[in-house]
Amino acid sequence: MSAGTAGKTGIQVSPAHPGRPVKPRHGAQVGAAVVVLAAITVWAGIGVQINIAAIWENWSNASGNIIQLLQPDYGFFPKVIPALVETLQMAVIATAVGSALSLPLAFLASRATNPRPGLLRATRLVMNIVRAVPDILYAAILVAVVGVGALSGVMALILFNVGIIVKLVSEALDGEDPGALEAALAAGASWPKANRAAMLPQILPSFASQVLYTFELNIRASTVIGLVGAGGLGILIDNVRSFFRYHELSMIILSILALVLVLESVSSALRRKLV
Amino acid sequence: MDSTGADIRFDDVSVTYPNGFTGLKGINLSIPAGEMVGIVGLSGAGKSTLVRTINGLVPITSGRISVGNHQLTGRGEAQLRGRDLRELRSNVGMVFQSFNLARRTTVINNVLMGRLYHSPAWRTLLGAWKNDDVELAMSALERVEIVQKAYEKASSLSGGQQQRVAIARTLAQRPKVILADEPVASLDPPTSHVVMRDLQRINAELGITVVVNLHFLDLARRYSDRLIGLRSGEVVFDGPGADADESVFESIYGRSLTAEDVLDAKPVLDTEVDLNAEVELDAVVKRGAGSEL
Repeated sequence: MSAGTAGKTGIQVSPAHPGRPVKPRHGAQVGAAVVVLAAITVWAGIGVQINIAAIWENWSNASGNIIQLLQPDYGFFPKVIPALVETLQMAVIATAVGSALSLPLAFLASRATNPRPGLLRATRLVMNIVRAVPDILYAAILVAVVGVGALSGVMALILFNVGIIVKLVSEALDGEDPGALEAALAAGASWPKANRAAMLPQILPSFASQVLYTFELNIRASTVIGLVGAGGLGILIDNVRSFFRYHELSMIILSILALVLVLESVSSALRRKLV
Repeated sequence: MDSTGADIRFDDVSVTYPNGFTGLKGINLSIPAGEMVGIVGLSGAGKSTLVRTINGLVPITSGRISVGNHQLTGRGEAQLRGRDLRELRSNVGMVFQSFNLARRTTVINNVLMGRLYHSPAWRTLLGAWKNDDVELAMSALERVEIVQKAYEKASSLSGGQQQRVAIARTLAQRPKVILADEPVASLDPPTSHVVMRDLQRINAELGITVVVNLHFLDLARRYSDRLIGLRSGEVVFDGPGADADESVFESIYGRSLTAEDVLDAKPVLDTEVDLNAEVELDAVVKRGAGSEL
């Protein structure tokens, strides 16, 4: 209201300083967005019937379990070790195989490195489907197909890894400066050769970083997929939990926590050096 | 590194881009082997389109281009493609305005990209280059006097050094033609002269045909045997640089020459710069400013 109008342009100018523009106001839009988001959240809460009272009603039961969980059975640790090692081995194999499969697929899934639109669309469609299926669902299906054990777990993790790495690396390729690729093609190189010589060195650091990151994810994911019988710690968790042996469960959780913390700190230190 | 040049011929070549923009209109040119040609004109005049048709980076709409014994033809005719197109490109080196190096790998790996056409796929995949190819790449780096940087990362080099690596990459192809698309537009004046002298020396010593796009008229006049002026996709001047007088400048640029059209509007502190050329250039600038005409 106090602001004047600058001649023909119609831009609002401050009356005290005619050269400066008035700070734009977006109050109404922000307010409307907050109201809409709040309404959606309340609707979702009513839909899933959040009942805070239930937490209090079950408290006597829960408190006993929590007290047991706070007292880990350290003597159980030797029995955790084989499952812990199996989880680690599953993660290593799945990361190695998954990243080896992902690298060529990432080049097929990037607009910058794949000149054939049909092949590009087909690769992206398949990768979207691979990524849309949750890892636990892969594990459940593969346990049914190849049976209970580490093999089904490793296969589920490989699919999970390919989905993630191809997505992230092909996006890195999309964002890469195509100058060197253009130069290699102008020198008579075929697309695969030009991609290898000009684009691969450019994305290698980000590829290595994604591989380490998926390795971290695999440690956690392999405990979850084990719950449906796909090997590793998950099977052990399922066993002790179904017999309500919470002291032992607590020991397993503590072991996972330690493993994840150690691997994450090593991996993030390495990744900082890469990028 | 014995290379000899190839003839380049344009017969009624036109380029229309998919968006309807006309890049080139009925170009007829004959560039004999071993010539160094400078192409000048405003941005959008078709300089970049012209050089990029020679290696097929921009496909032509009609007409015919021959490069040595290779033929590039317009739409509707048998197109040069696949291995034949790559063979043509392996004979034509290209230098770009923004150097176009793979910055995260070494200088030598960048120069070896000039050998990709000749290197088998498995060697390329493994990075296991033949000794002959490495030797060729090293001697190309020696020719542009930057071989001591062979194992450094390309990103650690200055702009002028990166452009010389890019020139070495074309030399590793043993090309018959070198195309340079605004090779000094990202460089400061003294470095521009170093890069232009490299191109001139390669042309003189190896007999490679060189076609270079330049924004600056003085550089084009100084370093090329022949000047081609483009305006709106058409050739408006073709002859020795010395013949390019004020009326020619006007026909190319649509206005009188100004200080913005020359690199060395003020004499640069570069002891290697030929002072005679500098004086001649001053005269050009004065004429352009309209003091005589």
